[in-house]
Amino acid sequence: MQKRAARVAARFATFLAVTTLLSACVARGPFIPASLAPGARTSVELDSTPFFPQKRYQCGPAALASVLVASDVVTTPEALAPVVYIPARKGSLQVEMQAAPRKFERLSYLLSPNMDSILAELDAGRPVLVLHNYGLPMLPRWHYAVVIGYDSARDRFILRSGVKRRDEWRARTFMVAWHQAHRWAMVVLRPGEIPVIADPRLYLQAAADFEHGASPENARLAFDAAVRRWPSEAVAWIGRGTAQYRAGKLAEASQDYAAALRVDASNAGARNNLAQTLLELGCPRRAREQLASVDFASLQSPLREAMTDTRIHVDAAVSQTSADNPVCVIP
Amino acid sequence: MRLSPWRKTSIAILSVAILNMGLAGAAQAAIVDTSALVTTDREADLGTVRAQLDRAEVRAKFQDMGVDATAVDQRVARLNDRELHQLAVDMQNAPAGGDVVWIIGVVFIVLIILELTGVIDIFKKT
Repeated sequence: MQKRAARVAARFATFLAVTTLLSACVARGPFIPASLAPGARTSVELDSTPFFPQKRYQCGPAALASVLVASDVVTTPEALAPVVYIPARKGSLQVEMQAAPRKFERLSYLLSPNMDSILAELDAGRPVLVLHNYGLPMLPRWHYAVVIGYDSARDRFILRSGVKRRDEWRARTFMVAWHQAHRWAMVVLRPGEIPVIADPRLYLQAAADFEHGASPENARLAFDAAVRRWPSEAVAWIGRGTAQYRAGKLAEASQDYAAALRVDASNAGARNNLAQTLLELGCPRRAREQLASVDFASLQSPLREAMTDTRIHVDAAVSQTSADNPVCVIP
Repeated sequence: MRLSPWRKTSIAILSVAILNMGLAGAAQAAIVDTSALVTTDREADLGTVRAQLDRAEVRAKFQDMGVDATAVDQRVARLNDRELHQLAVDMQNAPAGGDVVWIIGVVFIVLIILELTGVIDIFKKT
């Protein structure tokens, strides 16, 4: 009798467990929101995104070629293998994937780790490079793929992946694989483009990284966009100023540096660059005014040396000339 | 005294020319890089020393890992100090995306089933 009761109890417990599982399964709605914002689209497919079937272990070069060509760069996976592929690792590292677009006068930006930022980029027409992990932390299987669309009615992501030109993923499965790869997602930006959902500090970091190898004109475009989007960010103005400076447009540069100082009067980098630019404009006295208020002792090391250097040149120019250039204006 | 535009321009050009003659050294501009102004690394002095060590290390690792010798220099040159450091620290174990999809780990399949059935929820809104 007791045995029978135990068996019934066990069956009941199993029944409960199964129904709980099932109900939990049913209770979960679609993963992709019906629309991100009022009036936003419910499905997107960036059909024109090129597809390059990957070679063994070379999803990195293939996926990278896909997003680069989508942003009008002329390249191929074969050309990108020497740029990002590491034979002994049988793969490509995130750091190099992120650095590679700079070779082609493009910025790379890591999206904030949530689905909305991916959807927003797709809505804006930019495919998104993602890292997936089909293993676990102890047993990872990393794979790069390109998200080219989503369908919220069917709760699917659409990818260019591996050797599949069009690979549909149930949204939740996609998210598991992405989550296991620490939600790494990257977009390639033409100079002047900023992601829909973007953090000013991260964008300016990306733009500063870009600035090094970029032409002054492209650097100007990248920071010009930042100035428009975040006019209260001093670094945006400084970046645009430096791009102008490198293009030889000293008057424009001095105006941008001055704008940076209006936003953040304590920005020693902006003040140094303004003084240097004024000096080169033939306005050493104006430059000296800029440096007069600086407390050199409080500066961090590389900046302190740069400013000390600027001050020496400014002082020398003041003593060697009788007056500032008549075209000198106070920015 | 009012100057004609022509004279103004001439004076401006001459002044700049004269200044430039006197300041040949200053033309080596001391503009501070934007990247130096966005970086959060306060130990920038240490940073330059570290960057050199990192660069040497990453170069050696690239060669060990079978990267073509002609490409190593370009690849190292493309990386900034922050990226070089990331690689120097973790090039051996950092995620390397590579293989084709269908070799899906068994554990991953279990994970997906658990996630789909709602036993686990790794996307709890935080």
